[in-house]
Amino acid sequence: MKKASYQVKRKYTPGQFILTGIMLLLALTMLVPLLNIIANSFSDPKLSPYMSGLRVIPAGFSLLNYQITLSNTTIMPALWNSVKITVIGVALNILLTTTAAYVLTRPGLMFKKGIMVFLIIMMLFDPGTVPEYLTIKDIGLLGSQWSVILVTAVSVYYLIIMMRYFQAVPQEICESARIDGAGHMRLLFSIIIPLAKAGIATITMFYAVVRWNEYFRAGIYITKMSQTTLQVVLRQYVVNNDTATMVGDRNIRNYVNIVDFNALKNATIVIAMVPILLIYPFVLKYYTKDVLAGGVKG
Amino acid sequence: MSPSERISGADRLNHRKRIRIQLRRDWILYVILFPTLLYFFLFRVLPIFNMRLAFYTYKAKALWEWAGLKYFNQIFSTPQFKTILGNTLVISLMKYILLFPFFVLFAILLSEMRMQRCRKAVQIISYLPHFLGWVVIAGIWINILSFEGAFSELLSYFGAAKQNHMTNKGEIRWILMISEGWRSLGWDSIIYFTTIIGISPALYEAADIDGASRFQVIRYIVLPALLAPMSTMFILNLGYFMSAGFDQVLNFSNNAVQNNIDILDTYIYRIGIQKGQYSLASAVGLFKGVVGMILVLLTHVISKRLTGEGVW
Repeated sequence: MKKASYQVKRKYTPGQFILTGIMLLLALTMLVPLLNIIANSFSDPKLSPYMSGLRVIPAGFSLLNYQITLSNTTIMPALWNSVKITVIGVALNILLTTTAAYVLTRPGLMFKKGIMVFLIIMMLFDPGTVPEYLTIKDIGLLGSQWSVILVTAVSVYYLIIMMRYFQAVPQEICESARIDGAGHMRLLFSIIIPLAKAGIATITMFYAVVRWNEYFRAGIYITKMSQTTLQVVLRQYVVNNDTATMVGDRNIRNYVNIVDFNALKNATIVIAMVPILLIYPFVLKYYTKDVLAGGVKG
Repeated sequence: MSPSERISGADRLNHRKRIRIQLRRDWILYVILFPTLLYFFLFRVLPIFNMRLAFYTYKAKALWEWAGLKYFNQIFSTPQFKTILGNTLVISLMKYILLFPFFVLFAILLSEMRMQRCRKAVQIISYLPHFLGWVVIAGIWINILSFEGAFSELLSYFGAAKQNHMTNKGEIRWILMISEGWRSLGWDSIIYFTTIIGISPALYEAADIDGASRFQVIRYIVLPALLAPMSTMFILNLGYFMSAGFDQVLNFSNNAVQNNIDILDTYIYRIGIQKGQYSLASAVGLFKGVVGMILVLLTHVISKRLTGEGVW
């Protein structure tokens, strides 16, 4: 019966151990760098500069990096701006995406084909950085946070996914509601949205991740440092290595002799990562649920 | 009577009447849709209209001045442009073609794992980096590759001298490729993984009865099933070929390696946004867009011929 190993699916063969070992090692190369940054940011500033890059538990323990970062006069406003832009932005995303998806999934809608072709062209065609920049300038949004909020108000890609979720709502329910005298607004808000809740949750998460990670448009459209977002400030610290902003801050001057700038950067990275880590379990729950459960074949 | 004839006359009147009835009944649908269409007009159509700047000289307060192909000639005669185009193509080649088989391989290996818990753990961990922003990822990689970072430390066990790998000219493109893989390996292989787990069990049973080995199953059952998503992903990748992943390059760049990884989009950003040479940057952008589109269309047609699978 050795040939029937497919049906038996023996778990503990040498091959399986090697395979599992390789895959777990690969996963570790993804996990360890994250844990190292987190550990480093919570370490004692006297020990953190000498900490190994492979270490995943803090060397000593101190919240000093977070004390300094969270009382920094550029980080806190930037954090607040990021939260504000993300929340308002996602609300706008969802409002426009659900309403548009509702309209575009109505049976017998006129001009539907034309509108869809238009939207798909909009998705495939990227006019580029400069033409978009000049448009923002012409509309008069340059320098305002609304530029970032409005410029990514609808993603055609997510709109099409939303339409698929809406199409999964049984037609008969919609029809009987219409016969009972429900208007379009009522149909959308009391029937379709509650029934497509999981889909809306998924799309909300994806929009939120994109919004939170936005750094490029925020960097060029929002000109005032006090209006800018966390990712822009983080980029200045981490990528442009601008320790001057960190040192120039009155808070840091008090600590300049003991602070480890690298650990301070890592604390900022962790702060930028937290919302993603918070949302991630829901991504697993809603979006990759089937993928995670799958593979029980045969 | 042919169908086209039948539509004329009384029926056309009916058609118009139907439109009027639907508009009266469902006008609210168009009102609801209006803000979305307005958005696309303002933030998408107007920029497309602005692309004509490639053929004009920018004037802030007056009408733009026709310049013909002046800016295109200017670009193509810059020696720097050749380097930048070369960089773009090489980096894309590494990220979208050299890296491509690894996503398929990862999905196959994942599907071969029998220890469910370990497999789930690998999945959960490997999907995570996709959700991190490029600034955060750059921060993580600068940390890994720094003088005192994990990579230098691991290499030092094999006797290599410690160094900051981010500023190493010879390594930076490989770093771009590997970090791209690090970020997308899990997420971008989902499409292949779902295809594999969707393969009918009957096929495996048949292979089993025929006494096929594990590798034969992969070769004759799994890989053919993966052909369709592979060609779709490949063509979509070619759509990014002229972009080469701007966000990554911008954030992984530093003075030491800038010339080695300067790509079209970073060039557009530098001359367009930072130096204000709008026309020149628009010309580069238009060139990039047109070539990118031709690449996609071409591959789509070829793929359709060869495998019967395209993007649409």
